[in-house]
Amino acid sequence: MPNLSQLSRSRRPKWHYVAVGVGLIIVAVALTVAWQILAAPDSVPSRAVGPARAVVWFFGSLLFLLLIAGLVLIVILLLREVRLNERQSNFVSAVTHELKTPVSSLKLYLDTLEYRELSTDRRAEFYRTMRQDIERLNVTINNVLNAAMYTDRPVADPRPLDLARVARRAIELTVTRHQLPREAIRYEGPDGLRLAGDAQALETALLNLLDNAVKYSKDRVQIEVETWGDADGQAHVRVRDHGIGMSRAHLPFIFTRFYRIGAEVRRSRTGTGLGLFIVRAIVKGHRGTITADSPGPDRGSSFTISVPGLLGPEAEADAEAARA
Amino acid sequence: MPRILLVEDEEHLAAGIRFNLELDGYEEETIADGLSAVERLAPAPDVPVRDGDPSVDLVVLDVMLPGLDGFQIVERMRASGNYTPVLMLTAKGLPEDVVQGLEAGADDYLPKPFDLPVLLARVRGLIRRRDWARAPAEGAALTRVGGAEVDFTNLELQKGSETVRLTLLEAMLLKLLVERRGQVVTKAEILEKVWNLNPDTETRAVDNFVMRLRRHLEEDAGHPRLLQTVRGVGYRLVEE
Repeated sequence: MPNLSQLSRSRRPKWHYVAVGVGLIIVAVALTVAWQILAAPDSVPSRAVGPARAVVWFFGSLLFLLLIAGLVLIVILLLREVRLNERQSNFVSAVTHELKTPVSSLKLYLDTLEYRELSTDRRAEFYRTMRQDIERLNVTINNVLNAAMYTDRPVADPRPLDLARVARRAIELTVTRHQLPREAIRYEGPDGLRLAGDAQALETALLNLLDNAVKYSKDRVQIEVETWGDADGQAHVRVRDHGIGMSRAHLPFIFTRFYRIGAEVRRSRTGTGLGLFIVRAIVKGHRGTITADSPGPDRGSSFTISVPGLLGPEAEADAEAARA
Repeated sequence: MPRILLVEDEEHLAAGIRFNLELDGYEEETIADGLSAVERLAPAPDVPVRDGDPSVDLVVLDVMLPGLDGFQIVERMRASGNYTPVLMLTAKGLPEDVVQGLEAGADDYLPKPFDLPVLLARVRGLIRRRDWARAPAEGAALTRVGGAEVDFTNLELQKGSETVRLTLLEAMLLKLLVERRGQVVTKAEILEKVWNLNPDTETRAVDNFVMRLRRHLEEDAGHPRLLQTVRGVGYRLVEE
């Protein structure tokens, strides 16, 4: 009879190795305890305890401790490797789906245009659908390329930019791209928020956050974007949605490459698990931080980017002069 | 007019397939998530059947779906006694994926991206194969195989007081063997005629299905008397 566990069969042996590692640690700890009991200097009648025995006991104990530390290290590394491996295979599965679905759709519509007699209206409708498929392909390809391009390294050539303007532009693009009503995304913030950095990269980061906010919204999209500067010279942008949120358990992992919540095969939202990884890489490139928060499933989530180096008018002129 | 249920969550693909099926004269219904598909195809016994005619002649099923995946849906369908032919569509096209889909209970499998003429030919083929499997064999309403009586029209096998539901593939395999009673049928021919697969495909599917038939037909499935293996060639249903 059918066997669904075959789906995950290839992953199981790796967990066996981890189990073996944990078993070995337990054995090593047991041996250490036995060594402490049997070989400790005070476990034998006092006359027999010479300095040599104490030395043997000391180095023996040290050796056991090193052995345990080594084993623990190996098991931790193994665990990390297993997790990465799983995320990577999920990623391949997600990217396969994200690339093949629009390609299949394009092919289906091309075939239909070729084999069927169609009215002009019908043709126009099909061309529109095909254009959207190409846009979806483009987004996936850009995500994969951005993940390779934006690393944690500092921005090579920081230029003065207006974060408030970057945010407004990202909102504009998101509204057009997802065909949202204008009031779906509310913006609040000062007219200008100037700092030095890579405007294109920061826009990509904000677009990714906004895309997620739309994607994980429930029936009605309602997003608030807020920008502000503080006295410590930090600029902040917060994107808050009222969507499906997430449980606290996922929060520490969501910026990890390829991380996605839930099983890949019955995914209800499209994606590759690269979006937030790219956001974090860009923010780190600006020596900034990103934090995520969600009160829980179905209660929305919010993401805050904080970047140092807010420019006053003079600092801005200096920066411009320095560059010139 | 044959009625096809399409289970596909990708709007564009669903719309394109729907458009083409309707042009080819099929009645069509679309479901976009796994749980609704199961509700429709494998309802709990006490749930009343929904309005209208619930019968579906063919299911076109995507694998990656929100809620439940395609493999689970086919399994639940088969477990609940729904043997409607299933054509699976999926982004995974490796031979082992194909075999997994078939073993989960699907009747045919088409990797994405597919050619439109191929999809339509597979749909026609499955409906034709279903009609062939359901036509009475040897001109009689009931076919006698050993101590059992097979009703191909209703895909049922009666042995003593026990009634077994046959899947479409089981019925087709049995029918092929019945029609060639006394002769050896090669594995390659079975793969081609019953599974619609390339005769060179490496799979244990045929052997597994022969084992299932033996459990239905034989007194002792371990020592088959009726459905014999001809080593290295294929299988033969003995003449009585």
